[in-house]
Amino acid sequence: MKPPVESILAKRLVICVGPGGVGKTTSSAMLALVAAGAGRAVDVMTIDPAPRLLDALGLDAGSNQPQAVSLDGLGRGRRGRMRAMRMDPKHTFDRIIERYAPSAAARDAILANRIYRNLSQTLAGVADYMAIERLLELHEQGGADLIVLDTPPAAEAIDFLDAPRRLLEFLNSRAVTLLGASGNMLRGGLSIVDFAARAVLAAFDRVTGLHLLRDVQGFIRGFDGMYPGFVERAARAQALLRDPSCTAIIVTTAERERIAQVSSFVEGLTAAGVAIGAVLVNRVSAELPRPTGARRGDIGPALRRKLAANLADFRALKRREQGALAAIRDAIPAGVPLIIAPELGYEPRSLRDLTEIGRRLKPG
Amino acid sequence: MGLPRLIFVTGKGGTGKSTIAAALALALARRRRCLLASLDGRSSAAQMLGLEAGGESPATRRAAAAPEPLKFDRRAELEAFIGRIVPMRAIANRMLRSRTFGYVTAAVPGLEAFLLMERLRIVAGDAALNDYYVVADAPASGSALEMLAVAAGLRALAPLGTLNRLAAGVETMLTDPRRFGVILTATPEELGVREALDTARRLGELRIRRIAALLNCAVDPLFDAAEVEALRKLDGHRELAARRRELARRTAAARRQLSAAGMDVIELPMLFRAELHGRELANLARRLGAAVVADEAAG
Repeated sequence: MKPPVESILAKRLVICVGPGGVGKTTSSAMLALVAAGAGRAVDVMTIDPAPRLLDALGLDAGSNQPQAVSLDGLGRGRRGRMRAMRMDPKHTFDRIIERYAPSAAARDAILANRIYRNLSQTLAGVADYMAIERLLELHEQGGADLIVLDTPPAAEAIDFLDAPRRLLEFLNSRAVTLLGASGNMLRGGLSIVDFAARAVLAAFDRVTGLHLLRDVQGFIRGFDGMYPGFVERAARAQALLRDPSCTAIIVTTAERERIAQVSSFVEGLTAAGVAIGAVLVNRVSAELPRPTGARRGDIGPALRRKLAANLADFRALKRREQGALAAIRDAIPAGVPLIIAPELGYEPRSLRDLTEIGRRLKPG
Repeated sequence: MGLPRLIFVTGKGGTGKSTIAAALALALARRRRCLLASLDGRSSAAQMLGLEAGGESPATRRAAAAPEPLKFDRRAELEAFIGRIVPMRAIANRMLRSRTFGYVTAAVPGLEAFLLMERLRIVAGDAALNDYYVVADAPASGSALEMLAVAAGLRALAPLGTLNRLAAGVETMLTDPRRFGVILTATPEELGVREALDTARRLGELRIRRIAALLNCAVDPLFDAAEVEALRKLDGHRELAARRRELARRTAAARRQLSAAGMDVIELPMLFRAELHGRELANLARRLGAAVVADEAAG
């Protein structure tokens, strides 16, 4: 391994963030392979990998547990080990409930609750929070020198980093607590505004036909007693992300429309106090070959014209890419290295392909 | 069948959704009034046309008429909705100010997304009445499908009442091929094509019209096999010709898969340009105009 990859993979935790469609999941797996190839024990956690990547990693679609990835036949060098895991937010959330529920009855009530079922799948940030939660689990289990974490696609880094705080805020808001309380508990403790809030919610329920209030109350009551556990874990997760042993890699492609997105990720991570280890520019096309002069007589004029046109086309694409690359370089802070990952010319579909990308990483 | 009043453009991230939505709106605006709705919260498509900054890009200056940007604000939609179901303004305002209410609406699955769809339903109705078109620059296919399925989900949650009635209206709009249809964008790479195919299948299940698959960045082979053979002594040129043919092979594979799924495939060529300006967008608009908007031109 060469710098800057070496210093990044010497960390204990690497989080890959970035907009959708840039190859975050593939890059996470690739970085994990590079580290394993350098002798480290690596766990990689992927989110929603393409079926082919699942195959390559030897994961089946339903699996939520770390599985060993065979590194046989991937070249020489010290051999570490690699485990891969797929993250399923709903399943992770269910496990947390099972862990913290004060009783079996409370657990079942929560798991069956309509609000919980919707919350665990649709509330913005739950997938992010669960990724962090799973990370914490893996980290505390130990057993790996390095954990590489893929994150859900996000417009901004803050979506991911802020998830625990948002979820806690939801669970702890006075208003929600108020909803969960029974009439007797509330007596004397409520302001006019609180009563009004309850009243309007009841009206909302009636008018919309949702009948949510009862479910919300059941949900909140079920969470009684679990809240401290949540707070404590969220605090630990936040501390872990800010620890010097953790670093974030912003994954992008060399396209104009990514520049503003990369800047916003840089801002978000910086504001959250998470170190940025590198910006990885994925799928950068290979250098253009130097065309040997075509002598008259070797080929006809028609083919000669096509060669000139083809060369001009690829040069134009290369210039566009280099323009975007230069702009990305300008958009990131001075100390943050740029890593270039090559476009293979075909889609990576095996560990061998990922290893090949890893082998050809270079500073940008 | 001609184009529906509301054309929803979605696809995998990075396949050029916003560019295509912008070009299509531009093509339509040359014939009829056309609104360009940004559902991604970033107004990327409108920005490409220079519609937001106030300045006009070359692409729009040339157009007979520019598309009109239409932006959705989730908060404003929620306020409008509450205003409709709670006629007394004082109570409506109090609900909106209440934090509790904010959390409950966050917990109701997809209420915000639904309100966006409800808004689109109203706009599509108005478009049919006043003979114009709406092009929606939608989020990536995963989120877009959630939006399109949210009405059905809400109806299951609220079997009676206002919300159920509104959701039924949205479903009717979505499954009316004259009012609503989806253009799926893809580029000639495996993941993008697969996502388009998955989305197409899901749209079929939802009984939503698929207008066409739009294969962006299509590349022609330029060289035949014999020509590549003739280049055997010219290493650099041969390699570039082989790269070209590989891109063309992927294009052909994508075309085949998308049409095998029963979709019309419209191809937009890869733009081999160092920089993309309004001129290129205007070019795309012309091509799209010829391919998609032809029916409307006569009408």
